[in-house]
Amino acid sequence: MYITKDGEEIFVIDGHVHYWDASPENQLNVHGEEFINCFHDYQKNLSPKEYIWPREKFLKYDKETIVEDLFVSGYVDMAIFQPTYLTDFYKNGFNTVERDAELVREYPNRFIVNGAFDPRDGERGLENLEYQVETYGIKGVKLYTAEWRGDSKGYKLTDPMCYRYLEKCRELGIKNIHVHKGPTITPLNKDAFDVGDVDEVASVFKDLNFIVEHVGLPRLEDFCWIATQESNVYGGLAVALPFVHARPRYFAEIISELLFWLDENRIFFGSDYAIWHPKWLIEKFIEFELPEDIKQETGVDLTMDVKKKILGENIARLYDIDIEAQKEKLRNDVLIS
Amino acid sequence: MLPIQEVMEKLNGVMDPELDQSLVELGFIDDVKIEGPEVNVRFRLPTYWCSPNFAYLMASDIREKVSELDWVNNVTVELKDHSFSREISQGVSNQETFQEAFSKLSGGDLEQLRRTFKIKAFYSRQEKVIRHLLSKGMTEQRLVSLTVAELEEILTGDMKGAMLKDRYLLILTELGLYKDKRQPAFIDEDGKAVEIGAFRDHLLKIRRTRLSMEFNAFYCRNLLLTRYNLQDAGSDQNESLEVKGV
Repeated sequence: MYITKDGEEIFVIDGHVHYWDASPENQLNVHGEEFINCFHDYQKNLSPKEYIWPREKFLKYDKETIVEDLFVSGYVDMAIFQPTYLTDFYKNGFNTVERDAELVREYPNRFIVNGAFDPRDGERGLENLEYQVETYGIKGVKLYTAEWRGDSKGYKLTDPMCYRYLEKCRELGIKNIHVHKGPTITPLNKDAFDVGDVDEVASVFKDLNFIVEHVGLPRLEDFCWIATQESNVYGGLAVALPFVHARPRYFAEIISELLFWLDENRIFFGSDYAIWHPKWLIEKFIEFELPEDIKQETGVDLTMDVKKKILGENIARLYDIDIEAQKEKLRNDVLIS
Repeated sequence: MLPIQEVMEKLNGVMDPELDQSLVELGFIDDVKIEGPEVNVRFRLPTYWCSPNFAYLMASDIREKVSELDWVNNVTVELKDHSFSREISQGVSNQETFQEAFSKLSGGDLEQLRRTFKIKAFYSRQEKVIRHLLSKGMTEQRLVSLTVAELEEILTGDMKGAMLKDRYLLILTELGLYKDKRQPAFIDEDGKAVEIGAFRDHLLKIRRTRLSMEFNAFYCRNLLLTRYNLQDAGSDQNESLEVKGV
């Protein structure tokens, strides 16, 4: 919970967190090492100095750390895990549903875990999706369309097999499809960053929500275009938000574009923890105001009400979270025993 | 001019297609070696994962530009610390196409990709000229009626404006959109003049393009600094380049 100067309570849902294991024991090859190095460079690059972790800690952090950083010092009330398997790089996967589920079991009022699928897993993967619903009660999935799998360097949401998976999601009541469209994994295929496939599936599966993580960076302009066409397309702010500190002017331009094209109800906060710490992201975001010239040109504003929506209210709707009821539940929540 | 200066001048003209900035300016050129008519250029990118197709375009542009020097008869290009260092370095040095070098993997037509990004760069440069003129008080009405000749004339003596205009006209020509000086200065990718009724929308659209490119450039530049522990966060990292000319 963030309490404003005026005493107003802002309920915060972090829509994008990880609990990963990138330790040398879990690395399968040099790619695993380079992957986590790249993540660490992101952290070092855009965080205030005091939030930069030593490499050792960044490779693998414990439960106490994530709980402390998110819920004790980081203002976050609830957090959603977005698993990332990367089984070609890590022996037991990078950030898996199984690993995340341990934390959900311990803190059921705090964490939500999403599942994952990859259409290249074929029929077996469809069964696995059922298993994930039965076992973890998932309401969403995280997809990495650019993930390596042997000789394949990615897939598209429009692939026939992917359609079957999306139909399965519909059948199983999984309604939130988070798609990683953003930097970090080698996009060998020239379309890997392309958000065009989101456009097509969003218009076919109108009852599913498509959350484009990292607002389609580095193809922000294509993402904005698609989001105006499809009302069930949303944007997750992870990766874009750290600019609020490093380059506030850019951040102003980006957020004003998003507000202009998507409107204020379809943008979500996400820290991408443990890359970035929610504490400073939220503090800077609350403080931040759009410069006058940008307000005038785009005709949008980032008021406290809009910030409240982005920080929690918007994503609460997608995950059926009743904020008032949840606040009650959390009042007596003992976090660190 | 020394051979190394000639090579650097050529490299200055090689752009990162995604960022529309020169590789030299971005700090991507790591080393240049010259031995008689043989030139070896080593470059580096902000991450191990940077898009191989863009890397391939840059590597082949390096080869092509440096080969234009008449005393050069062999150019080898090396990409270091990348997930596809070997494939890209060997492929480009052996003058293979991207498809040949990555035959096993999905590659696709790089020329189409190049054009897509040229168009983005075109809009991005156009936006900067328009914004400059707007800030000087030019009306939208006047902007849309402006010819290339008038644009040239208006910006004479305006250093920043002239620089932005030159960059814009260069890419206009590269895209085959330049016919003569009497044509409208501000057109879309199909060569159609921007009309007054559509001006605001056009400006918003190209602003988005420019924003995306600048955003990426900022990310890339800083990741490069972090990755290689470079000190200077300014726009010129040329001093980090160790030039070993002969």
